[in-house]
Parts: sequence; C-alpha cells; structure tokens
Amino acid sequence: MRGLVIVAVVVLAIFVIFSGAAFVVGETEQVVITRFGKPVREPIKDAGLYLKVPFIEDANFFPKNLLEWDGEPGQMPTLDKTYILVDTFARWKISNPLAFFETVNNEIAAQKKLDDIIDPATWNFITSHHLIEAVRNSDRKMDIKEVGVDETYKKIVAKPIEIGREKIAKGIMEQAKPKMAEFGIELVDVRIKRINYVGEVQKEVYNRMIAERKQIAEKFRSEGRGESSKIAGDKEKELKKITSVAYRKAQEIKGKADAEATRIYADAYSKDPEFYSFINTLDIYKDSLDKETWLMLSTKSDFFKYLKKYYTE
Amino acid sequence: MARREDRGRDPWGRDNGGLPPEFDKILKSITKGFKGGRFNILIIIAAIVLIWIVFSCAYTVGVDEVGVIRRFGKYVRTTTPGLHFKLPWGIENLAKVKVKYVYTEEFGLRTLRAGVKTEYAPSKRYLNESLMLTGDLNCAVVPWIVQFRIDDPYEFLFKVRNVRATLRDMSESVMRLVVGDRSINEVISKRKEIADEVKIKLQQALKESETGIKLVNVELKKTNVPEPVQPSFNEVNQAVQEKERMIYQAKEEYNKIIPKARGEAEQTIKAAEGYALDRVNRAKGDANRFLALWREYTRAKDVTRRRLYLEAMGVVLPKMGNKYIIDPEQKGLLPLLNLERGGEAK
Repeated sequence: MRGLVIVAVVVLAIFVIFSGAAFVVGETEQVVITRFGKPVREPIKDAGLYLKVPFIEDANFFPKNLLEWDGEPGQMPTLDKTYILVDTFARWKISNPLAFFETVNNEIAAQKKLDDIIDPATWNFITSHHLIEAVRNSDRKMDIKEVGVDETYKKIVAKPIEIGREKIAKGIMEQAKPKMAEFGIELVDVRIKRINYVGEVQKEVYNRMIAERKQIAEKFRSEGRGESSKIAGDKEKELKKITSVAYRKAQEIKGKADAEATRIYADAYSKDPEFYSFINTLDIYKDSLDKETWLMLSTKSDFFKYLKKYYTE
Repeated sequence: MARREDRGRDPWGRDNGGLPPEFDKILKSITKGFKGGRFNILIIIAAIVLIWIVFSCAYTVGVDEVGVIRRFGKYVRTTTPGLHFKLPWGIENLAKVKVKYVYTEEFGLRTLRAGVKTEYAPSKRYLNESLMLTGDLNCAVVPWIVQFRIDDPYEFLFKVRNVRATLRDMSESVMRLVVGDRSINEVISKRKEIADEVKIKLQQALKESETGIKLVNVELKKTNVPEPVQPSFNEVNQAVQEKERMIYQAKEEYNKIIPKARGEAEQTIKAAEGYALDRVNRAKGDANRFLALWREYTRAKDVTRRRLYLEAMGVVLPKMGNKYIIDPEQKGLLPLLNLERGGEAK
C-alpha cells in the first residue's frame, strides 16, 4: 500500500510539472500571466518557481536583461553637405513587460519600433550638425602638420566643437527615449558605432590626403635644402673668419716684432749715428762692389793720397 | 568519486557512461532483500533515479572557474574551485564561468593560426571594422585587440543578453570616439596613448552596462592610412630621410673644411711668431755687435777708423775688375779709356 502512495505522489508531481501549473522564471526573464489572453496579476520580475492555474493561464516570458539593437548604416548628409554613412547601436530593456506585451508583443516587433524611432532621430541630429561635430568629441588640441592644407578644409577642421559626438548620441537618445517608453521599452543608451564617408566623398578625401602629404614631403625636402645651404654658408663664414683672424694676428705679431727691432736698432745706433753710417757703408762696399765694378779714383782721394806723396800734412 | 573528477566537464552528470562497481553490489544486496520479483523492476527504477540524483548533486569547479548556482532559475550562490554539492538538476542548476581565462576580441584583423609566426587573415576583409575618421577628417585604418576576463559572473550571466556583441559594439564606438579626437599623425604615432584612453573609457562603458567584464589590455596593432594613400605617406618618410641626409652631408663638408682651416690658421700665427723672434733676436744681435764695436771705437777713435777703412778697402779693392786712378790735373783721359775698352766691352 505504501508503494501505491509513493506512486500517487510521484504522478501528482509529474502532473504539476508537465501540466504547466509550475513554471520557473530565470534570472534573465520576466513573465506576464494571462488568462485567456488577458493579462492578470502583476508581472513577475523576480526569478524563482511560480504556480499558475494549468490550461487556463499562460505564462508569457520576456527577457529582463539588457538587449541590443544594431541599426542599419544609413547614408545621410551633414549640415556642411558631406555624405556620410552612420552606423548606430543601442541598448534597451523591457522595463514595463505589461505595456510591452500589450503594445509590441514580441522582440522582432520591438526591433522594428526601435528602427522606426532611432533612425529618424539620428537623421535629425546628423543633418543639423557639421561633420566635425559628429566626428570629434571635444576641443582637444590636435597635432596637425600645418603645411599643404587647403584653406576651406583648414577652416572646417579648426571650427570649435560645440557639442561633439557623445552629446549628439545623447541627443538622439533623448529624442527617442520618451517615444520608446510607451512601448514599455527603456532605451538605455544610443551610441554612434561607425561614421564613414560614402564612396565618392571617400575618393575626394583620399585625393586630398595624397595632395597634402605630397606637399608635406616637398616641405621636408626644401627644409633639407635650406638647412644644408645654411650649413654651407656657416662653413664659408667660419672659414673666412678663421683665415682673416689668423692673418690679422700674424700681422700684429710681425708688426710688434718690427717695432721692437726698430727700437733696438735705434737705441743702439743713436749712440753714434756717424759711426754707424761709417761702418755700415764700409760693409755695403764689401758686399756690393765686385769685379764688374769700374772704379775711377782720383789721386786726391784718401785712399790714393799716398800714391803721390808719402805723407800728408 | 574519482571517476566524477575525470569527467568534471559535465556539470550536471547526466552522461552516466557506466555505473561505479560499488553500486552493483548495493543493488544486488537490495534485490536479495526482496524476494518477490514484482518489486524488482520498481526497485531498479528507484535505484536509477537515486543514482541520477546523486550524480547531479555533486560537481567540481576547476581552478580557473567559478560555479554559479540557480535554484528554480533564481541565483543563489557562487562557488569556488573544488568539489561541491547542490540539489539535483531541475531544482538547482549549475553554470560554470571561467573567471581567470583571458579572452581576446580582434577588430580589423583575425588571427588564423597563433604561433611563433602568427598568421593573420587579410586585413582588407575587416576594413569596415578598422576604417575610421580622424579628428582632422582624414581616414585611418586602426586595427586593435581587446583582452578581457569575466570579473563578475553574476552580471556576466544575467545582466546583458549578448555580452560579446555588446563588447564589440562598445569597443568600436569608443575607439572611434577617441580616434575622432586625434589627427592622422597622432593616430599613427601615438598608439599607446590612444590605447590607454580607450581602455579607460571602454571599461567605464562596460561597467555602466553591467557586463561583468574587466579589461586586461587594449592594444593597437599597426595603424596606417588607407591603402590608396599609403604611397604618399611613404613619400613623406622618404622626404624626411632625404632632409636628414642633406643636412648630414652639409655637416660632413663643414667638418672636413673647418678643422683644417683652423690648423692652417694656427700655422700662420706660429710662423708670424717665428718671424717675430727672428726679427727681434737679429736686431738685438746687430745692436749688441754695434755697441761692442762702438765701445772699443770710442777708446781709440782715429786709429780704429783708419783701420776699419783700410780693412774694408783691402777687401773691396781686390774684388773689383777695373780700377783707374786719375790725377785730377790730367786732361783728355776719357778718350783713352774708351779706346782701350772699346774692343772688349760687349
């Protein structure tokens, strides 16, 4: 008999489980109970084991965790008429399962709703701002090579950032968020994933980048030439300086020596200028008169005075 | 129990490939106890259920993971590595999360085969992930990797449905946000700085959305400009080298000429100094000689004068070729002179 009781209990338990009277709500789920399609009771938001009336009541499960939405990249013009592709993504959750159940019902429909609301909001924001606002996020000073940049482009880049990418994304979210709330959906955030130029614009940008780099390259080359000429000039200058300074110093040294020598000679010879000229003249005779020299001397000269007389008075 | 540890991979122990031998003995002793064959089938069923319950109660958690237990779907506890027990499957469920393992997500590249020489898939295919706009409205190709581990298994399992997609979308968004505030030059030359900023911002975003992920590393691979623009960038690099080479050559020329000129200048000055020494010494010598002579001369002026004169004449006169001595009183001497020299001279 006891065996039969056990069997009865087991059968009852199996019935409870399989008839749908008991159901498990996971950590990532929430449930709306409906009786013949009509929601009854508060939605179940906590995980655990729950009971419902079998066959009459249905448990409708919805995810409770953070869900993703990935937008299709859309082509749109910015305020400065540059065509770009903007790829956004958003994260959302079902904050009001009852409202969600009633207005949207399932996730695929919810994704569609998100498309319908986020895409126009993105369009609104991108088309009403300059490209630079969507690309940059702050007024951070960038290291830009100034050369080779054409003026209009320079002006576009130099434009101070008024809002920046994060705030544009935030603006899109703020515009979409209240609209999603009525579907029981809480939009947690919207972010811009990718921004790219469309094909034609991309080609132009590449050409501009190429032109820019070519000019930068040219600048480096001319800098090289300039620098090298400067060094060559320095070399010439230094060379002249070195040789002329050396010449000046040499002349000064020689001059000083000449002066010194002159002083020494003058000091010595001024003792007796007549004697100096006497002996020096004799020395010069010795050096300068040779056999090519004809000498005609009068017998009246000092040297030949003895030739006529053996004595003088 | 040793068998169970071998099969630690299966958290619920549903795959009872073979029963441990001791259970056979127990089974036999039980069947022996009841003689009636009617109960046999029932008892065997009960035994199988019992074994299944025991097996789904015990589980092991590896050293690099934690076990997350849910009871009727609700999170109840997290268990550390080792052997643990739980209520049978259906009541308590186990999910194991590798919390030590470092996962890698790649953007703009894919590793085909890791190894000493890692092979990468052609990066062109993933250009949509890596092509982005820079702050100066140029295009850059920025491939990168994000390494992370699961820091909070509870958040990781329950808070976000598709953690990987969230991480990928967030990474792309944050990377473009950071690159969007930098010039093309910075994107190419300051990869570390960008990676650091992305890591901080991405971690913040992941924390806010409760992914349970902790970033280990964000690393930028080789950043570049799009392929059509690359030759012009290389040209800039070449120009830089060319510039350096020109400067180097000019400096070399300078260094060849100037030290030599300095040496020559030094030589000129030394030569002048030599001249000076020579000049002064000679002057001193001449002066001293003169003074010495003069001193002696002053003692016997007349005779010395005569002597000096005559000595000089003694040297001078023999050297000379033609000497004529003329008496001033004689006339008509010149014709005579001419006559005599006429034939000889030139």
